[in-house]
Amino acid sequence: MSGKAPLRIIVCLKHAVDESELRVDASGHPILQGAQARMSAFDRNAVEEGVSIKEKAGGTVTALSLGTEDVRKSIKEALAMGCDRAILVNSSKYLDALATSYYLARAVQRAAPYDLMICSEGASDTYDGLVGPMLAQWLDLPFMGYVRRTELRGDGSLQCELAMEESVEVVEARFPSVISVVSEINSPRYPTLLQIMQASKKPIEEFPLDSLAPGPGEAAAPEAAVRVLDTTAQSMSRKKILFEGSPEESASKLLEALKSEGVL
Amino acid sequence: MRSVLAFSESPALAAEVAAGAATICESLGGGFAVIAVSSETPSPSNFEAVADAIVEVAKREGAQVVLLGATRLGRQVAARIAVKTSQGVLSDVRDLRVESSGGAAAMLTGVRPVFAGKFNAKVASVLPCVATIPSGAYAPQGASASSTQPPATVEIAMGPKAPERVKHIETRPKPKNTVDLKSAEVIVSAGRGFKNKEDLVLVENLAEALGGVVGASRPLSSDLGWLGEERHIGLTGIYVRPSLYIAVGISGQLQHVAGIKDSKIIVAINKDKQAPIFQVADYGIVGDLYLVVPALLKAIETQKAS
Repeated sequence: MSGKAPLRIIVCLKHAVDESELRVDASGHPILQGAQARMSAFDRNAVEEGVSIKEKAGGTVTALSLGTEDVRKSIKEALAMGCDRAILVNSSKYLDALATSYYLARAVQRAAPYDLMICSEGASDTYDGLVGPMLAQWLDLPFMGYVRRTELRGDGSLQCELAMEESVEVVEARFPSVISVVSEINSPRYPTLLQIMQASKKPIEEFPLDSLAPGPGEAAAPEAAVRVLDTTAQSMSRKKILFEGSPEESASKLLEALKSEGVL
Repeated sequence: MRSVLAFSESPALAAEVAAGAATICESLGGGFAVIAVSSETPSPSNFEAVADAIVEVAKREGAQVVLLGATRLGRQVAARIAVKTSQGVLSDVRDLRVESSGGAAAMLTGVRPVFAGKFNAKVASVLPCVATIPSGAYAPQGASASSTQPPATVEIAMGPKAPERVKHIETRPKPKNTVDLKSAEVIVSAGRGFKNKEDLVLVENLAEALGGVVGASRPLSSDLGWLGEERHIGLTGIYVRPSLYIAVGISGQLQHVAGIKDSKIIVAINKDKQAPIFQVADYGIVGDLYLVVPALLKAIETQKAS
C-alpha cells in the first residue's frame, strides 16, 4: 500500500485480573473468583499507540480480544479511547499463549485486510510477551518487539526504535507487520464521559471460537500445552520495623539497625 | 535419544542456561545437554533465522526441552520455535524438573512469578517444550558435576540468508551504561514523593554517602523523565539484588516491588504510613523525605567523623 492510504490497525488486548486488587485466602492462594479485572495495564499503551497512529495517518483501529463476555468491559474502554470497532472471540476455554495467538491470528485473517497489528510487551498477569511474536509467526509477518517509538515512512513501512536490554535498535519493516510496544512509548489517554457514552454505540463483532477452527485440509489447531498447576502467594518475610519519631531520632535508629544488619 | 538444548545470545545467561540444561537432564533420568552456539549474534532483524536454526538442531538431537534465556530477544526466539513446532512455552521459570504422576505423560514443571510478583505459579508443559529462564535461576558453575556426560557443543548453522523482513537501520548504545544497578551493593531509589527534579540531589547525596548508586521507580524514569530509563527498577525495568535498598518517596506499587524482592535489606522512607512499601520493608521511616534524608545525611557524617 502507499503511505497515503488509510491504515487498518488491529490492537490486541487482554482482560486480566487486576493484580493490585487481588486478595489472598488463608491458604495463600489468590481469590480469583469474583476478582476485579480490567484491561491489562500495558495494553492501554498498545491502544494509545494504535489510536495516535490513526490520528496522524488516518484509518481505522479495531480492538481484538479473546475470552468470555466479561471481556466486553475492556473492549469498551478501548472503544472509548478511540478504537472504531471491536472483535470479541468468544471463548470460555482455557488457552495458553500458543493457542490464544493461533485463534487471534485466525480472527485477524477473517477481519483482513489489515496493515498493522499492535500488542503490548506483555500481559500484566503473566508478563510472558509471547502472544505478539507468536501472532506474527502464525500470520507469517515481520515482527518488531519492544517498540518504544514508531514513525510512519512514506513508502508503506514503519520505522521503530526497539528498547533492547543493552541498546536501542532502529529497524524498519513494510506493512503488514506486527509490533509489540513497551509501556514507555506513550501515556494512555483517559476517555471523556462523552467518549465513554459514544463507545457503547460502536460495533462489537463476535467470532465464536469454534467458527475459527481449522477446516478440512488445514493443519490442526494447537492444544493448550501449558497448564498452571498451583498459584501461591510469594512470601515476603520482611521485618516491617517502623520509626516514627523526629527525623533525627529515626535517622540514628535506622543507622544503628543497618549497622547491626551488617549492610553498612 | 533424549537431550536438552540450551542457548542464549546473552553472554551473562549462556552459562546459566547450560547449568539449567544439565539439571533438567538429571531429572530426565539420563539425558545429555547440548549447548548451542551461534557464530552470528542474534538481533531483532535475524531472530527468525536463529530460531529456525535452533529448531533444526533440536530435531537432530532429539531435544525434549529447548532452554533459552528470558531476554527480550530470547522470548521472541521462544515464540517462533513454539509456533514452528507446536510446543508449549514456559516463561521465566526456575526449579525446572521433569515430573510424571500416575500413568500420565512426563511434563516439564517450573515455578514462575505471576501477578507482578505477588504470587508464584507452578506451571507445567507437555514434552517436548520450550522454556526461558531469568538471570539468577541457575548458578553457572553449579549442577551436575556428577552428570555422566559433559555437555556437547554444537554450532547452529544459519540457513541461506533469506532477505530480512525486518531491516536493521542502526544500533544506538544505551547512554550512561556506567550505572550498574544489577551488581550494586547499595541502591537509593527515588519515587513520586519528590516534588522537583532538582530535589533529587538528596538521593544522589545519600547514595554517595553510602557508596551506592541511584535508582528510580517508573514515574520518575519514564513518565516524568527526571532520571534515565536505565535506572528504572521494576517489572518492566531492571531487577536488582543489593544488600541495601533504600526507597525514598516510593509508594510501593507491585510493579516496582517486583524488581526489588531479592534485596537483602529494604528500607522505606515515606510520609504516608499506609504506603504499601512499608509492607515489604525491613525498616521504615514514616516522615517527610525532605526532612528525613537531610537528617540521615547528617547522622552518617557524624558517624564517619567519630
